Amino acid sequence: MLRRRAVAVVALATVIVGRASAHGGSLAEGVREPLTIPTWLFLSTGGAAVGASFLLASFVTDRSLIDAIHAWRRSLAVPGRRVLAGLARAVGVAGLVVVIVAGYYGPTDARANAAILLVWVGWWAGLSISAYLLGNSWPLLNPWRTIAGLLPSLDLSYPDRLGAWPSVVGLLGLVFLEVVSPLADNASLLATTVLAYSAVTILGAVAFGTETWFGQVDPPARVFRYYGRVAPIAAGEDGLTFRLPGTALSEQRLVDGRDEVAFVVGLLWVTTFDGFVATPAWRALVRPLVAAGVPALGAYLLAMLVGFALFTSIYFSAAELARRTAETFLTPAALAERFAPPLLAIVAGYHLAHYLDYFLGLAPALVQALAAPLATRSSILLLPMPGWFGGVGLASIILGHLLAIWVAHAAAYDLFPGRLQAIRSQYPFVAVMVVYTMTSLWVISQPDVPLPYL
Amino acid sequence: MTDTNDYHVPATESMYECPSCGRPFAREEWRTLHRGLEHASELDDADVEQFREAYRSEDSELRLFRLKALAALVVLYFVLLMIYAVV
Repeated sequence: MLRRRAVAVVALATVIVGRASAHGGSLAEGVREPLTIPTWLFLSTGGAAVGASFLLASFVTDRSLIDAIHAWRRSLAVPGRRVLAGLARAVGVAGLVVVIVAGYYGPTDARANAAILLVWVGWWAGLSISAYLLGNSWPLLNPWRTIAGLLPSLDLSYPDRLGAWPSVVGLLGLVFLEVVSPLADNASLLATTVLAYSAVTILGAVAFGTETWFGQVDPPARVFRYYGRVAPIAAGEDGLTFRLPGTALSEQRLVDGRDEVAFVVGLLWVTTFDGFVATPAWRALVRPLVAAGVPALGAYLLAMLVGFALFTSIYFSAAELARRTAETFLTPAALAERFAPPLLAIVAGYHLAHYLDYFLGLAPALVQALAAPLATRSSILLLPMPGWFGGVGLASIILGHLLAIWVAHAAAYDLFPGRLQAIRSQYPFVAVMVVYTMTSLWVISQPDVPLPYL
Repeated sequence: MTDTNDYHVPATESMYECPSCGRPFAREEWRTLHRGLEHASELDDADVEQFREAYRSEDSELRLFRLKALAALVVLYFVLLMIYAVV
């Protein structure tokens, strides 16, 4: 029996690795192995793991212990901060220049092109990983923030009622663009997209001021900021502040308003959407649609919007239900805000599972390409990943969930005076986490097919 | 603390309001617990005794809950174990 269970774990690990290498277009060719356990069992095991971690967390009912864990902080003064920050800004701007120059004039082979490697391997995989494992360095590296900071600002007043909605639309739009266009293969297309994004971003930041633009509107800045809340290191007053990973997610007012909740749920949805469109189920769904005359891009857009609406409505109904299970007079909106940040730990876990081996495998190629961005080369350096490495992906998914369950538990203890009341408030949210987990696991358990009609 | 506009109390339901911060609660014991946890410095001896009482009675409820949670964990574990043995 032990052997069988070991096989199941390895199978789970293998599909995750398979999916990971399938990401980022054709950069790395992944071979997916079929599951050795039935899909329903694979899904139930994942769901049960989340449920079990909730039950385990519910044994911790000592308020002072929870407070002590979440209040732990250490500060470290960093000498020469200004010089280091200036250096980081210069590196960011240099990176932008490399992406544009190498995008237009670099080698056409995607795995040798510095623009493609820097954007997908260095930025989207590597910098994201560093943002939730270490700390968010994007505000310093962000070249558009640096450039816009040097320009005079018009300081137009940003309409408050828009809130974070533009960034929600931007996030869905950018991921949609990434899925439906060959941005991971075609370097000059990538460079053009980056130029278009630069124009919009710099104009916006000049019009509304950098703080408003990157605080409210710019989607990547918000993604990195939210990832940074998972991390153990944050920028403090005169240096760095250390805390235990994830503990900053239980703070009040981290996510404020329906719009910011929608962004967090949207971030969770786009990681699922990315994989969903490569499943046979999507192919079966989209064929009759296109045959009936719906344009292919329209079908993709529809799927993205319907899925997003589904994910958000499930989450908001959970908040509605939590009001009843906890017998509280807090509004569903207030509950939704307070229990959204833990979802970020889950997102980080999935991101790590998807991208860690992709990042490590292609990191040598990135270094090689950056050393001489315009040179064409016949051999590309790749780091082969050992077989056991898939276990790291599996572990990161489980850790993400454990962290999410724990953080939600701590937030509930902070919010409700009754200890049992706090536990009961979590029932609907745990059910939602189980649903999200099983959806994501279902997606990664499906065989990978080429995106239909693209 | 949380803003007052974060609350909505239906007119038909009984409500216990915290005298210090105005936060509404559905049960009296939750108000007692809340006052002890958030406004400990404002309580007199009788209030403190009331808080201790509420905390203790919660303890016994929690013990029962823990037993149930443990039972659920054991059931979950064995059901999965059985399924993996059969499949």
